[in-house]
Amino acid sequence: MEEKNVRKLSRNRRGITPVLSSLLLTVIAVAGMSIAVTATYVITDGLHDNMGERFIVEDVWFTSGQVSLYVRNVGRVSINVDAVYVNRTRQSFTALELEQDNHGWLNVTYSWSADSAYEIKVVTRRGTNFVDYYMSPS
Amino acid sequence: MWIITCRRLRRDRRGISNVIVIAISLVIILAIVSNIVLWNYEMNQVDWEKMKEDVSITNVERVTYGSQFTFENGGGLTVHLVSLWIINSTAHQRYDISVFVNSADTKNYLRDDISLPTGSYTVKVVTERGNTAVYSGN
Repeated sequence: MEEKNVRKLSRNRRGITPVLSSLLLTVIAVAGMSIAVTATYVITDGLHDNMGERFIVEDVWFTSGQVSLYVRNVGRVSINVDAVYVNRTRQSFTALELEQDNHGWLNVTYSWSADSAYEIKVVTRRGTNFVDYYMSPS
Repeated sequence: MWIITCRRLRRDRRGISNVIVIAISLVIILAIVSNIVLWNYEMNQVDWEKMKEDVSITNVERVTYGSQFTFENGGGLTVHLVSLWIINSTAHQRYDISVFVNSADTKNYLRDDISLPTGSYTVKVVTERGNTAVYSGN
């Protein structure tokens, strides 16, 4: 008797469609939620990093064919220098990445003239910038 | 009449999905907004603290062994000095330091490994928050 019931159940196909549709809906809902949570994380993380970036230029040293800037990361995230402008012209420089509370020299190749003022601008990959005027030695 | 309406409402499942979707969306939006607002508040606090700092170098002198620097904190917050620069026409020398100066306090700092250069020089200190104080001597 029991065997018969089992056979009948295994051959019975009624009710499968609602189960499948429920399963499919669950999968879609979970996928949608995951996308929403990931997007939330990505958006807030990006904004976090942008808002948490702070750096200063401790010192500027004019040496032959080069201007060296000592950069200190005083923000809450690591920084990556993306561009350096001297008098609004992009210059080549040695790559510099600074973790939180780290500091180091940023060497910019530039042939400067004595006793002149230069506008030096440092821009990070996230778009934060530091700009100031520096006087070259006589 | 009232009881019948209540029972009907309790059994009615239409529109529940909309309510759930709105609730989840609100939770996500709240998470994003609160995260950004809190982070923004923290960074504003960092900027505010930086603005409140007021540190100066009141005296630099050669002593028998090395050099002595006198720092004065005129601000309302304790400052942490992290960098000391000795700059003259030929060299920009940086030293790692860790000196805490309390609010409205003066501190003498002796370094036996630093000898001041002959001729005119500039001494610069940098705080952890990113402010600098400069002293010129000769």
